[in-house]
Amino acid sequence: MDFVLNGKATRFDGDGDTPLLWVIRDDAGLTGTKYGCGIGACGACTVHVDGNAQRSCVTPVSSVAGRTVTTIEGLSPDRSSRVQRAWIAKDVPQCGYCQSGMVMAVTALLKQNPHPTDKEIDASVSNLCRCATYHRIREAVHAAAK
Amino acid sequence: MQPQSDRIASPARRGFLKGGMALAGALCIPLPALASRTVDSGPHGTHEITDWIWIEPNGKITLGLSQCECGQGVYTGMPQVLADELDADWQQVAVTFVTGRDAYRTGAAYEEPQQFVGASMSATLFYQRLRIAGAQAREVLVMTAAKRLQVRPGQCYTEKGRVYHGATGRSFSYGELAEEAAKLPLNPAPRLKNDAAHQLIGKDLQRLDTPAKVDGSAEFGIDVKVPGMLYGALKFAPTVTGKVTGLRNADAVKAMPGVQAVVQAPDAAIVVATSYWLARKGANALELEVDPGPARSLDSDQILAARQAALGAPEAVVATKLGDPDAVLAGGGKVVEADYHTPYIVHATMESVNATVHVREDAIEVWGPIQGQDFVRNALGKLYQRQPETIIVHTTFLGGSFGRKFLPDFVVHAARASAAVGKPVKVIRSREDDIRHGFYRPGVSGRFRAVLDDKGLPRALHARLTGQSLYGVIKAERMAKHGGWDETMLEAIYDCVYRVPNLKVEMIDVKQPIPVSFMRSVGSTSSIFMLESFVNEMADAAGTDPYRYRRALLAHNPLALRVLDAAAKAANWDRKPAPGVSRGFTFNLYTGRGEAFQTYVAMALELERSGKAFRVRRVVCAVECGRAINPNLIRANIEGGIGFALTNTLKSEITFKAGVVQQSNFHDYPLLQLAEMPKIDVVIVPSDRPPQGCGEVSLGPVAPAVAHALYQATKARRRSMPMKLEV
Repeated sequence: MDFVLNGKATRFDGDGDTPLLWVIRDDAGLTGTKYGCGIGACGACTVHVDGNAQRSCVTPVSSVAGRTVTTIEGLSPDRSSRVQRAWIAKDVPQCGYCQSGMVMAVTALLKQNPHPTDKEIDASVSNLCRCATYHRIREAVHAAAK
Repeated sequence: MQPQSDRIASPARRGFLKGGMALAGALCIPLPALASRTVDSGPHGTHEITDWIWIEPNGKITLGLSQCECGQGVYTGMPQVLADELDADWQQVAVTFVTGRDAYRTGAAYEEPQQFVGASMSATLFYQRLRIAGAQAREVLVMTAAKRLQVRPGQCYTEKGRVYHGATGRSFSYGELAEEAAKLPLNPAPRLKNDAAHQLIGKDLQRLDTPAKVDGSAEFGIDVKVPGMLYGALKFAPTVTGKVTGLRNADAVKAMPGVQAVVQAPDAAIVVATSYWLARKGANALELEVDPGPARSLDSDQILAARQAALGAPEAVVATKLGDPDAVLAGGGKVVEADYHTPYIVHATMESVNATVHVREDAIEVWGPIQGQDFVRNALGKLYQRQPETIIVHTTFLGGSFGRKFLPDFVVHAARASAAVGKPVKVIRSREDDIRHGFYRPGVSGRFRAVLDDKGLPRALHARLTGQSLYGVIKAERMAKHGGWDETMLEAIYDCVYRVPNLKVEMIDVKQPIPVSFMRSVGSTSSIFMLESFVNEMADAAGTDPYRYRRALLAHNPLALRVLDAAAKAANWDRKPAPGVSRGFTFNLYTGRGEAFQTYVAMALELERSGKAFRVRRVVCAVECGRAINPNLIRANIEGGIGFALTNTLKSEITFKAGVVQQSNFHDYPLLQLAEMPKIDVVIVPSDRPPQGCGEVSLGPVAPAVAHALYQATKARRRSMPMKLEV
């Protein structure tokens, strides 16, 4: 089973029902994408599949055959994406565990809606943060949208 | 942020056998990971000055961090203190986690000194220790420079990693001086800077760990990779006291793809495989024989009924008695009374508990999100009959902890798996098992009764709290010796700061076979909900505004008044709220474990009505937590604490049926979402006290503020958590 992971041709030989999350983490060794719930409820595992945000813990690897997957490691080589820069400027993370998924979810949101209102951010960002950094996430989304 | 060349270093080279330290987890930012972690003398090619500072000839400085970073900001705040007294160049410092020395241990609440993080005490306990270390190092660097320049140390000054001779401007970098300076004895009482001279302490510095947390490179426990590592997944006995007595289909599971072993532990079985997913599939297929244990008939209804019965029992353990409360309460007058209830709740860290362990002949090596390094050493030392010094603990970043990763249970699972297969094994607990097999904050019931004087202030107050006592489980002997009551259950009540001339505070330990432990703010998330709700009920009975009522009850405490006033001012409390907006006002003096510190918090919360529903739209929190080492970090702790407490207030409840936790994942144990997060304004009240804790202080006041704002809007009391934001 072949797909493109952060620009690189990638092959996975195991079961097609293996969640993309564990292929990314254990086989490709990219651990920026996190396990949080395994049921698509928290978004810590958010990656882009063909540019759209997707929760990789409930994405069977077979479903990305022939497609392009981007993880946090592939977003920019040097933390220079506008979302990453805004996250740094607002000092968003606390424990930081959910933030890869947050950055990926917000990057996808801004691609579709470059200037979201608070209401649109509320409706779009359903990723969970137990440290409740939401206050700064909201500020950082607006900063990134400028 | 990739550790680590030290993983494969032989233990004999580490120095710990000689009582040295292990520099674990090269959490080095902004500098790249140092080449070597084998450390009799610190990172290779560096010179150790104090237990905390390593200087390379090129001037790079590595600062040791003894406190795990679980989001609270110690990765920045503690090095900030060291670097300030050292006069290091902040742009040139790297941070690394250190372990294994007494300098990194603290004794909390009457216990043996241990290396751990807990009870919001890092700032309070390490502030002076780190200042002294920084100043000691600075002194020997200055003395070395002065000797080389043939001038007096007093003629020299330091700035950004260099020593200058004032008169001539000649200078040396710390890197040039370190080798010689490292040989000088340290002054036990070095001269510390005046507060006004601090360049870093008090500044809004950005977090050093942020960059690695936005590009995926920060290493959490779950991310650890060790050569030859296998993966483990768990299958638990279902009840909270369950034991595994046998494995029904171990052979069939062992024949599954990738599965290497099935290991039986007392409370669970561990399927070890070549990847986590294959281990998970094996664990899902595994069938256990179990003994459900004493919780086999445990139901939430019975737990609540037992607590309620205890509220009315004739006798209880008295923790505090002032004046003659019984006589005053029996004497009649204007009486206010109310019962309150809170449920069991669980940490639900975003990173579920996990650890990687390699049990070898010569040593046991542990990598993971560890909140108590010495607890891990002690637990594994006992289990495998090893000296704690031969147990090497590498601490990664923690993907949240809130008290959960303080316990070593999850490390023990990985150790059992490794011991069985002879290889390093990373065991990851599923979200479901993290919620169903956790250590819970106990639910509590409380009965409050007061008699008010003609001004509406309490002449007497009687508070009784009942529930499963945390200390009754984990510190039973000490609790029995010291009056039989549990400070964690009676927080803010046993040491009530309000003026109440006749006061009785008591509790009943209603034993349950449920695993319990510390969770962020511990019992205060119940006790402050009850006390502050009751103060608001007394204020309502007196017909007094809750802010002014507290001013009257705290008239003897100028600091408390300052904090109350700061919150009221920032919230425009004296202005009438906008239509559809109702408000709550609360206060707390948080004293930590064993009254380790004092932090004052006042909160004003706004609730906005929309149809039959409400949303918390703004929270103002004034905090006086001593000198602010880094206001940016304090604000983050307060903001996050409020969000965490809103989850507790509005959503969290663990229930039991036949000994089994009924919740299992975020669909039935939901967390606050971004859309529900209010605007938060933090007011840091200036202080000349030393730094006090701030990680837990903003939680307690949230629920009673929400409850009172709901009451203002609906005239219905909310006396139980969680509460719904509905009419």
